[in-house]
Amino acid sequence: MKIKITYNWLLDFLETDASPFEIQKYLSLAGPSIERVEKIGNDYVFDIEIISNRIDTASTFGIAQEAAAILPFFGKKAKIKFNPLKEYKLSQIIKNKTPRKSGLKIKIKDKNLCSRFTAVILDDVKIAPSPSFIQNRLKAAGIKVINNVVDISNYLMLTLGQPTHVFDFDRIVNSDGKSVTMIMRQSKKGEKIVTLDENELQLPGGDIVIEDGKGRLIDLCGVMGGLNSCITGNSKRIILFVQTYNKQKIRRTTMLTGFRTIASTYFEKGLDEERVEAALVFGIKLLEKYAFAKIDSYVYDIYPSSYQKKLIEVNFNFFEKIMGVKISANQIVQILNALGFETKEEKDKLKVYVPHFRKYDISIPEDLVEEVARIYGYNNLPANFCPPAQIFQPEEFEKTFKIISKIKHCLKHLGLNEVINYSMISKNLIDEWELDVKDHLKIKNAISQEIEYLRTSLLPSLYKNIKDNEGKKETLKFFEIAKVYLPKIDSLPDEKYRLGIAVNTDYFDLKGIIKSLLVDELNISPISLKKNENDFYYKFYKNDRWFSIFSHQNFLGVFGQIKKGSNIFFAEFDLLSIIDCYKLLPKYQPINSYAIIKLDKTFEIGPNLNFENIQNRACKSQYLYKIEFISLFKNRLTLRFYYSANDRNLTEEEAKKELEKV
Amino acid sequence: MDDLNYREEINKAGSIDEIENLRIKYLGRKGLINQLFQQIKNLSQDQKKETGLKINEIKKEIEKLLSVKRLELEKNKKEEFFDPTLPGKSYPKGSLHPLTYVIEEIAGIFQKIGFIRVSYPEVEWEYFSFEALNMPKGHPARDDFETFFIDFPENKKYGKMILSPHTSSGQNREMSRIKPPIRMINIAKTYRPNWDATHTPMFHQFEGLCIDKNINITHLKGTINYFVKQFFGKKRTIRLRPAHFQFTEPSFEVDVSCGICEGKGEIKGKKCRVCKSGWLELAGAGMVHPNVLRMGKVDPSIYTGWAFGFGPERCMMMREEMKIDDIRILYSGDIRFLEQF
Repeated sequence: MKIKITYNWLLDFLETDASPFEIQKYLSLAGPSIERVEKIGNDYVFDIEIISNRIDTASTFGIAQEAAAILPFFGKKAKIKFNPLKEYKLSQIIKNKTPRKSGLKIKIKDKNLCSRFTAVILDDVKIAPSPSFIQNRLKAAGIKVINNVVDISNYLMLTLGQPTHVFDFDRIVNSDGKSVTMIMRQSKKGEKIVTLDENELQLPGGDIVIEDGKGRLIDLCGVMGGLNSCITGNSKRIILFVQTYNKQKIRRTTMLTGFRTIASTYFEKGLDEERVEAALVFGIKLLEKYAFAKIDSYVYDIYPSSYQKKLIEVNFNFFEKIMGVKISANQIVQILNALGFETKEEKDKLKVYVPHFRKYDISIPEDLVEEVARIYGYNNLPANFCPPAQIFQPEEFEKTFKIISKIKHCLKHLGLNEVINYSMISKNLIDEWELDVKDHLKIKNAISQEIEYLRTSLLPSLYKNIKDNEGKKETLKFFEIAKVYLPKIDSLPDEKYRLGIAVNTDYFDLKGIIKSLLVDELNISPISLKKNENDFYYKFYKNDRWFSIFSHQNFLGVFGQIKKGSNIFFAEFDLLSIIDCYKLLPKYQPINSYAIIKLDKTFEIGPNLNFENIQNRACKSQYLYKIEFISLFKNRLTLRFYYSANDRNLTEEEAKKELEKV
Repeated sequence: MDDLNYREEINKAGSIDEIENLRIKYLGRKGLINQLFQQIKNLSQDQKKETGLKINEIKKEIEKLLSVKRLELEKNKKEEFFDPTLPGKSYPKGSLHPLTYVIEEIAGIFQKIGFIRVSYPEVEWEYFSFEALNMPKGHPARDDFETFFIDFPENKKYGKMILSPHTSSGQNREMSRIKPPIRMINIAKTYRPNWDATHTPMFHQFEGLCIDKNINITHLKGTINYFVKQFFGKKRTIRLRPAHFQFTEPSFEVDVSCGICEGKGEIKGKKCRVCKSGWLELAGAGMVHPNVLRMGKVDPSIYTGWAFGFGPERCMMMREEMKIDDIRILYSGDIRFLEQF
């Protein structure tokens, strides 16, 4: 949450020699972050990011309290010169002997809805523009200026951090002409209210609302008032309405309706009941002064359980334990007192009483350490290394990360481009690949159809990569290493690392990449190809143009030409299988110093004779050292055979004899 | 000996090759001069000396003539043009995703100080992402982590199935795997339902977790300081500011000094366009909340710890080389982006 206040506004409450920029600098280090200071006219506007559990700082006075505590620790003078929480008391108003002609008939149906309920009726109001200082400050805060009554209500919120509401008394007055009935209750499901921004809301039920006794809802409490009871240009008798509500209820309403206001942002954080009194009194004073209002009723204040001081006990040495530096009891006490905590020292222990405006965010000793440490200054803490400890990385993690890295760098150097795709794909893509959406985990609240299902294979995404890049580059060679998510019954899915490769070149290019990676880089040898009917992949590939890759009995993955499109070739591997077969070093072959005889031979290949047949036959020779592919012209395949013996020089005649057998 | 017409032959030679051939003819191992020296042994002692001297003179003359002619030819020869500025031979140039380099770098930096990299589920139970992090059901802090929910039957113990919106779910998982001391770094994909120029529905986070006896704020500060200097450079400094997270207490925002204005907030009197008054927000961090330790069955009266969460994308884009104005390009698969790295 962000608020904007001004420097002069702050000075209503704070006496200091700090400049606006010094305030920005020091508060940002030890308290709320002041993101910007902007000079407007004779004043400076602070743009402040409120720390989420510090709603007590979301006002001019709240910032003044923080500044008064923080600035002195940076060598600046600062103190609160006017404390509305102490100065604005109901007793000042109640003493006033004005006639009480009007009244409220208040019924609160559920004690749990509202922790403090205050209201007062004011008469003789004249609607007019508000004074220029209020207008200027509201404009600086980014709030629309409307008229004196509405502006004062908003001004109260930004000054004290307590939202207020104003009703037009006469628009909801009972037939007696002098009373208004207010029944605070939970809404029923489907009840409707038109809020003052002229929106009709259908309520989810259980929201805090006020009914006027005639079945009309006049306020969606903590969020926005009803249009039927709001201030108009003719308003004369008004109700100033200051409450604290059950924060869970307000939050529930904003969550379920999606309707949020500045007021609801305050209320759903939980407000300090003690501040209600100051807000009501300050409000009456402002309305009297700037809207000619006169009190016309009792001041209603329903406050069943007042604040009981919260006590936290903490050992002095706990501060050092967490902060890592020596800090004296004196310093600790001084800081806590400056922040409004009362303290009592007892030997090694400190009893700390939490002020009412911090009752929601301070509850354990660690919270007190935070208060002391931030004012002491995080900048004043040294930077130390952690004490040494030997922790072993589980082998599976270690191997996975190491081999993923090897694979990535190897494929990069073979000329492939790594891509990272979203883990989620569209239903369209699943359908396009004839996969079953039921086999995919579905996101309930997907924000786009593009990312609705968790993928079970990398290939559909890689296919999309090739398609999306057509025309941008002629040769495309992508790879991705990522998890796929295979649903299981009653448990989290199997998250399996896969390696996917997609190229738009040709079959042998892909086959070469795979060989380089598996055999040359990862020392997985031998590898063999098997034609098979893999249930999952057969939908992807062109008949007869795809194979499963094995190392011994271990299935590593598949590769081949895909069914769709003309010239796209895919491979997908199970990374764990690759990791299982990986070897750091290949098997060393003693160097053979005897003669190697090279012989070329050309074969006519066809349905009855393929390279593999030739290779199998050639391998029967104990002297075969290797076979090299020389060329393929139409169906004429030329191969070079290397023969060698490991104990003597082989003669050419012997080699030729071996080759003849092939 | 006198019938050698080397003078004429050398004079006639028109190319370096011819000169070389003549050198071999006369001065080579089996050349005419050596043949003459061979014949000397048949002569008398006096003749030997005289003839030897004469052959030597001829040899010297031939050498001189050859070298003069060679120089002359080289001078006249039109030199074969050699262009050293032509490009070298092409090798395949692939690329890795820039985040791969960043993540490997980060993991390496922490590995050096004894932090082990782990990996935990991306598809998680609500419990590990929220309850175990001191965010019970209905807690407003959950709003800060907007979450994708999976269409799957709720688990009685762990609640709904979700895509983890942060890597902090790994904290409880690591505490279940081992007892302290813990030094963990968890780098993973995370998910939140936002998609615009500064958000992608999938992104990365890395989580650091240290739990041990006597761990305090200075250790958190020291570790982040070390990381920032390793990753961004020695000149960069950090600062901690107050913040609030449910799973840490105290909690901090971590800022790093701006590399453009060197933390001054202005360059030559003008406001720095990159940072806020000299600082850039980098991460959230804090001392592990005692409730989080308890949820991990670690006794907070014996052990303390710290944790932080960084965005590798953000770390990457805060480096000089990577000024990206629309983060969506990272996951677009556009070859024109990918092939640059």
